Amino acid sequence: MTFLSFAAPFLPEIVLLAGTLLVFLLDVLNVRRIEVVGGISVGATLAALVLVIADLGFSPLSFLSTIPASQIDVLPAAGAAPLYSFTSFGLIFQGVFLLAAFFVCLASTSRPSTERGAPIFYGLLLLATIGMLLVAIASDLIFLLLAIEVTSIASYLLVAYTRKDLRGLEAAMKFFVIGALSTVLSFFGASLLFGAYGTTNLYLIRATAGAVGYPTLVLLGYGFLIAGLAFKVTLVPFHAWAVDVYDGAPDDVSAFLAGGTKKIGVFAFFLVFLGPVLVVGASGQSGYGLFGGSVALGPSFQVVLAVLAVLTMTVGNVLALLQKEMKRMLAYSSISQAGYMMIGIAIGSAPALAGATLQVFAHVLMKTGAFLVVGAVAALGVGPLITDWRGLGVRRPLLGTSFALMLLSLAGVPLTIGFVSKFVLFSAAVDAQGWFIWLAVAGLLNSALSVFYYARVLKVMFFDAPPDPDPALAGAVVGAAGPPVLAVGGLGYGRAATIALIAALIVVVGIYPQPVLGAIQTAAYHFVNVGA
Amino acid sequence: MLPVISIILATLAVGTVATFLSGTKARWVALAVSAVFLAEVGFLFLGYPGWPGYSGALVPGFADSETYTWIHLSWMHVNYAVGVDGISLVLILLTAILQIATVVYSWGETRRPAGYFGLVMLTCFGCFGVFVALDILLFFLFWEAVLVPMFFIIGYWGGPNRRYAAVKFFVYTHVASIVMLVGLLALVFYSGATSFDFSSVYAAARTLSPVVQTFLFLALFFGFAVKFPVVPFHTWLPDAHVEAPTGGSVLLAGLLLKLGGYGLIRWAVEVLPSGLHSVQPLLFVIAFITIIWGSVLSLAQRDIKRMVAYSSINHMGIVLLAIALDSSLGLLAAVLLMFAHGIVSALLFMASGSLHHQYGTRDISTLGGITPSAPALSTMIMAGSLASLGLPALIGFPAEFTAFLATWNGLGYWVLIPLLVLVITAAFYLWMMQRVLFGPPKAIPPVVHDVPWYEGVGMGLLVALTVLFGILPSLLVNVIVNSPIKGWPGT
Repeated sequence: MTFLSFAAPFLPEIVLLAGTLLVFLLDVLNVRRIEVVGGISVGATLAALVLVIADLGFSPLSFLSTIPASQIDVLPAAGAAPLYSFTSFGLIFQGVFLLAAFFVCLASTSRPSTERGAPIFYGLLLLATIGMLLVAIASDLIFLLLAIEVTSIASYLLVAYTRKDLRGLEAAMKFFVIGALSTVLSFFGASLLFGAYGTTNLYLIRATAGAVGYPTLVLLGYGFLIAGLAFKVTLVPFHAWAVDVYDGAPDDVSAFLAGGTKKIGVFAFFLVFLGPVLVVGASGQSGYGLFGGSVALGPSFQVVLAVLAVLTMTVGNVLALLQKEMKRMLAYSSISQAGYMMIGIAIGSAPALAGATLQVFAHVLMKTGAFLVVGAVAALGVGPLITDWRGLGVRRPLLGTSFALMLLSLAGVPLTIGFVSKFVLFSAAVDAQGWFIWLAVAGLLNSALSVFYYARVLKVMFFDAPPDPDPALAGAVVGAAGPPVLAVGGLGYGRAATIALIAALIVVVGIYPQPVLGAIQTAAYHFVNVGA
Repeated sequence: MLPVISIILATLAVGTVATFLSGTKARWVALAVSAVFLAEVGFLFLGYPGWPGYSGALVPGFADSETYTWIHLSWMHVNYAVGVDGISLVLILLTAILQIATVVYSWGETRRPAGYFGLVMLTCFGCFGVFVALDILLFFLFWEAVLVPMFFIIGYWGGPNRRYAAVKFFVYTHVASIVMLVGLLALVFYSGATSFDFSSVYAAARTLSPVVQTFLFLALFFGFAVKFPVVPFHTWLPDAHVEAPTGGSVLLAGLLLKLGGYGLIRWAVEVLPSGLHSVQPLLFVIAFITIIWGSVLSLAQRDIKRMVAYSSINHMGIVLLAIALDSSLGLLAAVLLMFAHGIVSALLFMASGSLHHQYGTRDISTLGGITPSAPALSTMIMAGSLASLGLPALIGFPAEFTAFLATWNGLGYWVLIPLLVLVITAAFYLWMMQRVLFGPPKAIPPVVHDVPWYEGVGMGLLVALTVLFGILPSLLVNVIVNSPIKGWPGT
């Protein structure tokens, strides 16, 4: 294998790495204008995104494809222990990760052009994205955990990149300590599994899982692994750090953390519990992951994951109800949304996996978008409390309508992507029958509950009279009682374009999900039936 | 064949967007859209058997059914499937009439007209979608799509307590929808239907055991009952209706309540006959309680708008009773009642809105003897009230008569309950008219103008239809009984 043919499939990662190095180099050369470094980062993420879409088999872009079709979705030779392998499912996640990074890069170009630390921000963001891409192709526990570490370390630094902001520093410290603990737990779990299986390769584990059975070592290993990953995905009761970190981090970083990096944990769950490890059921059909086939790890693990899912949804929602600050409310709602994704893992069928993946995609749009709006609104000088947003929807129709769409989508109102993802997920739960239907019921009840706090925000934004003087009008050339500000005034074009783009995607995919959903379904089917 | 229904949906969608974007010209755009919509609905009627001038072949089951693949996954097939039968056609006509009447009536709306008229268009778009959807997901989508514009109409253009009313409306109906969604999903997956289409669910659901059907029916009924609304899920209605602006109340009472009745007929009664059979006694009890409760509370109201709102609960109770009878005559009565109530309650809400605009109050005891100062308005109030209490030759009569006849056929002497309640209904309308319209003038301010021309035209249109369909109910009956259910000719 020549170096070129080895390296070609990694072109997206290479593009991002080149972008990272270039940005850091420019920092050293004192070229720190946000237009330059931001432009490079936007270009790098967009180029990587296009490459990944080409690799996924999108025919108009096929000339850009760098991964031979013969390398995607194939089982390695018996006994081989590849560190990484390309699955269409992983590529979809790469695309989702890159989308989140692209949104944040684009929106951040609207920050003051002389702001300090812009190269650091962009460099770290690209670095974190590289780690995320690597997570999506891992097929070895150690490779997976190291890739997660790449992202984690970059994101600890991201939270504190302004260096002056005490809240950011505190958040970074907390993030780092918890993150380190989570890493330790994951690695400990992986080492126990190594002890049990004699390998950390997921394909080899899959081959030997049936013979090894479920001694205490395996149960403990998976237990620690679940705990370690649960921190990353902010599952209750491993969630406490998330709200303070999202709250304390700079707004664009919160958007990236909640919308982007959190999802690597979700993918890791898929990978460890449903992917190459899967023991396909006797019929060879999409069984129920590791748990439902002829060789079951024991339904007890499935119950554990289901309980985590329900706990996460419910606790996240209830706490979100009690919040007074917009950012903290969104943080708790982000926790509860992670619970929906866990439903897919607990069920483990291909439909459920597809539903959970669409939920991940939806969450990237909704949550990245929501935090970006929060950042935009804060940049206008509006306070952090929900009640500070009085009348904002009427005064700033672009922000207001987009944010309303994001919230409605989070609440699962039809014609938005959030509805489609929940619909597919819950219908998969009903389809799986048995006790899984209760997961659908729990999810639906939680959706109903979440309506309360989203509707409250809509009420404040659209029905309450705006404060006087109205900070939301800052940067716009109208009087306090003037007409709504249709122009981008005070937002910056990058931010405005990103928010509008996300809002449009939420509706378009919500109305016609077939292209996205079809691709996800095929990929999910291949993922739970590797090589089938 | 022309995909008429899809063309209408597209018209409404484009019209809605255009209205939102048209700024101060919004009312003209909205009027144009409504006129086109009405014309298209007329065209739809011409292609339907039973309507004068019909010439064409009836597609088995539903006329003009159009199906395209929408979401196609290994474990679920969702189609874009639309179609109409006589029942939905009558309610579509109601949608078109109320849309244009609301637009004309609201001609003087000056607070952010683009938003207001756009939301009105969106509400009617959603209602039309509910009436034509023949796929569970599509149905649910439109069902929920009605919710959002109404939330904003109440919350932004409503009365003093609008925020509370808007949130309460949203939460009540959304929670109900979610339970309904579980029911609908379970209907598909438990029956083993091959797709989310009405036809395949209809065929598959009949194989379900009566016990399963009962549970599914209850889940669906809960969703529809809140929209209806029946006691005890009715408390959102008075708040929402009273706080909403007049146009919002018209759409709420005239259209949104009909969604519940229509949904119950289409997706529960038709699909789950054994389910209906086993919960029939429960439905009768709920219907009777709703009829009595709505009427008694109407009698106690001081606010004329609130009175009309409670009388809506009473009327929808009769609709539920008629549906629960599970007879073809009962279904006919239910659809007629829904149409009649749609027109009449819209008229009454408009009249009480005008009363509020002109006199600054809707309080029955404060008002008095307004006939000399506002003869046109008084005529409208009188026409609406008389139609609502079931005076012959007005639209309420044939509907209620059919309902009581069906009740007599199905339940015998139990018909006395709704009949006696009708006396209360007549009482509160007559008492209201006596106090508000007649007697010595004591209005505040003493000198007022009659209604503005646009409000008069909006209400006049409805009065004319009240008379037209009161004298010629056969126009509607012939269309309704051509639906492919319950032993009607279309089967």
